[in-house]
Amino acid sequence: MAPRSIWNGTVTFGLVNVPIKLYSATESKTVRFNEVHAKDGARVEHRRICSKEGKEVDYDDVVKGYEVEPDKYVVLEKDEVKAAAGDRGKVVHLAEFVDAGDVDPVFFEKTYYVGSRDDADPYRLLHEALKKTGKAGIGRFTFHDREYLVALRALDDVLALHTLRFHDEVVGADDLEIDSGSKKPSKQEVQMANKLVDTLHKDFAPADYEDSYREAVLDLLKRKAKGEEIDLAEQEEPEQGDDLLAALKASV
Amino acid sequence: MARALWSGSLSFGLVNVPVQLVSAARDLDYHFNELHEKDGARIEQHRFCSEEDEEVLWEEVARSFDLDGKQVIVSDDELGSVQPRKTRTIDIEAFVDLADVDPVYFDHPYFLVPAGDSEGTFRAYRLLVEVMSRTDRAALGRLVMRTKEYLAAVRVRDGALTLTTMRFHDEVRPTKPVPTGGKKPAKKALDNAIAVIEELSSDWEPDSYTDCYRERLRRVIDDKRKRRKIEVPEPEKQPSPAPDLMAALERTLANAKAGRDIRTEPEGDGDLGELSKDELDEKAKQAGIKGRTKMSKKELVKALSP
Repeated sequence: MAPRSIWNGTVTFGLVNVPIKLYSATESKTVRFNEVHAKDGARVEHRRICSKEGKEVDYDDVVKGYEVEPDKYVVLEKDEVKAAAGDRGKVVHLAEFVDAGDVDPVFFEKTYYVGSRDDADPYRLLHEALKKTGKAGIGRFTFHDREYLVALRALDDVLALHTLRFHDEVVGADDLEIDSGSKKPSKQEVQMANKLVDTLHKDFAPADYEDSYREAVLDLLKRKAKGEEIDLAEQEEPEQGDDLLAALKASV
Repeated sequence: MARALWSGSLSFGLVNVPVQLVSAARDLDYHFNELHEKDGARIEQHRFCSEEDEEVLWEEVARSFDLDGKQVIVSDDELGSVQPRKTRTIDIEAFVDLADVDPVYFDHPYFLVPAGDSEGTFRAYRLLVEVMSRTDRAALGRLVMRTKEYLAAVRVRDGALTLTTMRFHDEVRPTKPVPTGGKKPAKKALDNAIAVIEELSSDWEPDSYTDCYRERLRRVIDDKRKRRKIEVPEPEKQPSPAPDLMAALERTLANAKAGRDIRTEPEGDGDLGELSKDELDEKAKQAGIKGRTKMSKKELVKALSP
């Protein structure tokens, strides 16, 4: 089944215009619960109430307020917030390219798959060129009236668009004041630890990691549905060992 | 220092390092409150029972899940009973090459900082930093935070241990259904496209990009505060694909080489001033202009002008 696209527009690469469609690359599988009234099991609804009148307010009568000082708001109509979206609309201009591997993972926010629209030829050209060079094109992308910095790169047979965090949104280690203590690890400890890293080295195989918590929650729900009594077990904490070298030796 | 979101220990074989988790991303967005247009009062969200149409207090709310049409209600204690045993420990299960983990798997970045002030903790933390910065590897482990279990990659950034939560494999959609239509590019077109990319390549310098959206939103708020008119800009029109892909590529490459805006359209032969020296040389050669190799850019334009 063809996936549903969530945006369509054009990526430009100089005078080459690539018509594209965008698809979500990820979906959360976290078990989500509904709020219900414990007494009667009826769904709980969230309603907007005016704090002054104590009465329900229709969404059309809601405006956005930015608090400039306590209890003082600058009021914006929903349309006025759109003025910040800029003029890019449906176009992503790529005018700079960087090595895709140089962008630290900390910058990546959300990923979308980019599909070709109208089977236009330039899609494969851009895909192939990015794949061959290992580069990512940097541009700006407007989605739901908000502009994002994005990296466009080849991922397998498709193009992927990653929204990126801005540099000032990324915390550096300097901001943390990590205490490094007075003693360096000994040579022997480093050797032992290196050995342990090598022992545990393997290829990344994402399918090896199941969300066991999600499965446990679903299993709990099934047992509960059958009317089973749930055993509320206690958790235990691991002990912190004092002898670093002895612990490393025992681990290898 | 940033607020600790979680504390526990990072377990590497039998070595346990007490750590705290702090976010490595800052929220710099402008946040708005909902207000009632009529009286400017804050809007509050209240819970109502859909059946009784009466307000419901938080204590009276239960969590329910729709299991194949059957409603199952669970308590927090029951949910707590299925949390993995070592809920306060991140167990390192494997080390993988960081380059093999596609960015599509990355979710939220955090730092792990040593917890407490024991010398043993600092030393064990430093040991992990030292060993892991020698390789381009990431340690994979699991983290249980609030009511969710995460797969996480731990590696070194900026001399500190950083942890990035990851999506599980079934949360990443397959790429196969995504349309990648169109013809395979001709070799010449591909070479040109690669040449354009190389011409426009530079080092990744995150500091050179600012959040224009944030700045514009700040201006909108400011304008509104000073009662200035807010202009909503017209979005740029979507361009249609160039009729001649090869010509578009060649012109793009010429633009890139000349250091012009790469979207500069050719404006016919009359607009010679727009061309680079190389392009003018090429034109002069085609036109058979004598003495062209000794000409300056200006002289070339003059010689080529009709």
